[in-house]
Amino acid sequence: MKKCLIFIDGEQVKESLDLIEVCRKLYPERIVETYAVSNKWIDPESLKGIDHTFRIDGDRIKEYDTRNLAYCISKIQDEYQFDSILIPATWIGRMLAPRLSILLQTGLTADVTEIQAENDQILLVRPAYSGRMMASIKPVGNGPVMMSVRANVFHNEISDDHKGDLIPFSYNCDQICGIREMGSFKKEKSYDIRESKVLISGGGGVIHNFEKLEELAQLLNGQVAASRKIVDKGIAPRYLQVGQSGKTVSPKLYFAFGISGAIQHIEGLKNVETVIAVNSSINAPICSIADLVVEGDACQCIELLLSRIRQYKEKNNSRS
Amino acid sequence: MKIICIVKFVPDVDNIRYDFENNALDRSRVRLILNPDDVCAVSVAFQIKDRNLDTSIEVVTMAPVSVKTYMEDLIRLGADQATILCDKAFAGSDTYATSKVLAAYLEKQSYDLILTGTHAIDGDTSHIPAQVGAWLDLDQISGVTWVDTEGIDKRKAYFKVDKENEVIDFEVKLPAILSLSRESSYKLPYIKRTEIDRDVSQSLTFLNKEDLNISECETGDYGSLTKVVATHTREYQKKECHFVRADEEGIETIFRFLEHKGFIE
Repeated sequence: MKKCLIFIDGEQVKESLDLIEVCRKLYPERIVETYAVSNKWIDPESLKGIDHTFRIDGDRIKEYDTRNLAYCISKIQDEYQFDSILIPATWIGRMLAPRLSILLQTGLTADVTEIQAENDQILLVRPAYSGRMMASIKPVGNGPVMMSVRANVFHNEISDDHKGDLIPFSYNCDQICGIREMGSFKKEKSYDIRESKVLISGGGGVIHNFEKLEELAQLLNGQVAASRKIVDKGIAPRYLQVGQSGKTVSPKLYFAFGISGAIQHIEGLKNVETVIAVNSSINAPICSIADLVVEGDACQCIELLLSRIRQYKEKNNSRS
Repeated sequence: MKIICIVKFVPDVDNIRYDFENNALDRSRVRLILNPDDVCAVSVAFQIKDRNLDTSIEVVTMAPVSVKTYMEDLIRLGADQATILCDKAFAGSDTYATSKVLAAYLEKQSYDLILTGTHAIDGDTSHIPAQVGAWLDLDQISGVTWVDTEGIDKRKAYFKVDKENEVIDFEVKLPAILSLSRESSYKLPYIKRTEIDRDVSQSLTFLNKEDLNISECETGDYGSLTKVVATHTREYQKKECHFVRADEEGIETIFRFLEHKGFIE
């Protein structure tokens, strides 16, 4: 039997629970016992599929106090000796995982997109060189297998209604957290490209006409997304970025304007039904995953397509 | 106050090409740049110095000798000191081993604040800031988009973190590590003309593994706890695909395609 500890980010519980699927992939031929620990109090009833949930008794650890969280989890590890520790690559998870890896003196692999497991030999696959290649990484040393995993890459689709139990664990903060929240404000609700059915996405080929995508998105009841190049240039905010360093998306339609499609971008497309790629080169990597490839200038293509759809809509409106 | 910025010089990744014939990365056209998030970290340090004249700034990197000119430029821009941790034995270090080398240096220094970037555009693991925080037992926060460069003192700093759905204001007791995000849009100034040729070699220090008292087995491949055992390009399943041109005929095909799939109402 193998024991896996999953860190549940209190703000992204569902995404954290998806890591149960990673446990299955790590040990396909073994029985896996899943444990959970969180930075917030979570009713174990809502942690479906988790066998045991730790309840931290003692000083309350602040949600963003990754220093004490890491100390606490390392003490849990000392006692329970998990075979692997999985952490979602959220804001907290990305600060917690590296810290914990040092305390446990174990290697950490970030942003794992694929697991290769055979006879207990585990290889973790992640994009490297900004997504131009994939690297297979082998954890060495004696510690548990540790990794961070981005949201939407793995899905826990096996519904499991069995109730786990609570394990009290006593921890008193060794260190006083010097960080204090002074206030916060919610931002205007922006859309989440992970939930979009239609994404009109732009890359280097539309760097000067990026705003045109918005118009097309509206006509197709979709939303705008962007490649890393556009985000790095400051033309679009990071929450619109598709790819390894952005988000993993699964729309029905993905319209890629002027995006060459390095692996790091394509890794961000999971279960997309239809891909249309508009590119000046039909040899661009994105074309290899497209259903329809449009060879030519992306800006010109947007203009022509906009006027074609408008023409259709006007005709339709005048008829009705 | 003393600020240490941990920085990394990264290949300008947009210019890396994969040479499919020779199965290798073609870096011939690639130049190094200061990692974008680290640009913000150094810029914040400069801004603090502008407003608090008793500030001194040190930039630290673990890198090959070849980054020397880049580090010299940071001195010309306003850093008081630059330190390059450089040894052949460091090559091939994973983030565990890298953070160990950085921490071996930092634990012997005095500082009030450590600034870093959040992500590096090449490795993109975001491990180093938090790992250094663990070695030094300091609080660390990523994704910082604003620092109160006027209100900061040796005891505390105020800053903002921009999460996707909210912006949070924090106070932190110093020393601590703040990791900037490029969303912050802090920018570096240009080097003044009078500074371009200034000899800054006095302010630049190279340290090797002996200086840091690090043994061969603690760093590089030996000291790493993860090993890259293979790299490959991913093969995607080729779909049945139609090709058209971006002309009127092509547009009509796209339009029909969208209509057929039900995307046009």
